[in-house]
Amino acid sequence: MREITTSATETRQTGTRVVVAGIASIVLILGIAAILLFMNLPDANAFNARVERIFVENSNLTSQAEVKLLEILAQSGTAFSETLTSYRFVIFVLLVFATALLVAAVAFLVMLIALNRRMSRIEQKGIEVNSLMIAREQNLVYLNNFEFKLTAAAIETLSVLAEARLDDEVMSGAEIEAVISGRDASDCEEAAGATRIKRLRDSLGNQMISELLVKNIARQGYMLAIDKSVIRMV
Amino acid sequence: MKRLILSLTFLAAFASAASAECYADYKAKQDDPLRLQYGVAQIDGPCTVGDANEELVSRLADEGWQLLEVLDVFDLAGAELRRENAGDYYLRY
Repeated sequence: MREITTSATETRQTGTRVVVAGIASIVLILGIAAILLFMNLPDANAFNARVERIFVENSNLTSQAEVKLLEILAQSGTAFSETLTSYRFVIFVLLVFATALLVAAVAFLVMLIALNRRMSRIEQKGIEVNSLMIAREQNLVYLNNFEFKLTAAAIETLSVLAEARLDDEVMSGAEIEAVISGRDASDCEEAAGATRIKRLRDSLGNQMISELLVKNIARQGYMLAIDKSVIRMV
Repeated sequence: MKRLILSLTFLAAFASAASAECYADYKAKQDDPLRLQYGVAQIDGPCTVGDANEELVSRLADEGWQLLEVLDVFDLAGAELRRENAGDYYLRY
């Protein structure tokens, strides 16, 4: 049992590392792609330089019309490179979107795994109290979605314990008895508090088990309130 | 007397050399947006491509043009031949 726990912890640690590495590599790869994109596209001057070279290298390109034509060629090249710049921006925006989506996907995947693990832990653990509500007027206590009816004395004990828990305090039997009866703790007996706890446990435990395990179906009888498939005889 | 004639001929020779006009055709450009120019210009100094180059670089730079190359140097007759190609830039700078 202990070994399994250790390995689970290790898995979680390596998992976190893998997630961080994965997200970092996604950002890195797309960042490199963006840098390459911006470096490899020709700038506006590339066309002008090419036209200029043609002009210089061909000594017979000297008539007015030819020179004008070369200028127009350079201008259309510049216009095209402006188009490329806008394309580049669009591609960059898409890259940013892709990064965001990939990161989100990885994060959701990890969340899903963690959630699954937590779900299975809860399933194994049985009842886990997510909410405790005490209604003193009706002598009712709500554990998660279960409603339990207690005696006034048991409700009193539970309220005292809940208040102590809110203050992160541990109470002895005598202290519990003192708070409920209103006397000084030194005048109270430990056994009186223990009895109150025992009654609370009996009443609450009885109702809880009848709700969770041994059900009483009215005018018919008793039945285990569990799935057939989980029963195994050893 | 002989000396005088000799010096006069020298003088005349120099004078004619100095007055023989020198022209060069060149290519130049402007950036942003790219503009190209083929022109013919008169050269004041010695009539070689190298000297014409030096002279034209500064002369064109004053007008905002960058000299790309000087093609050739020639006399007035050669310049007339290139007048049509140079167009507006014939003897402009």
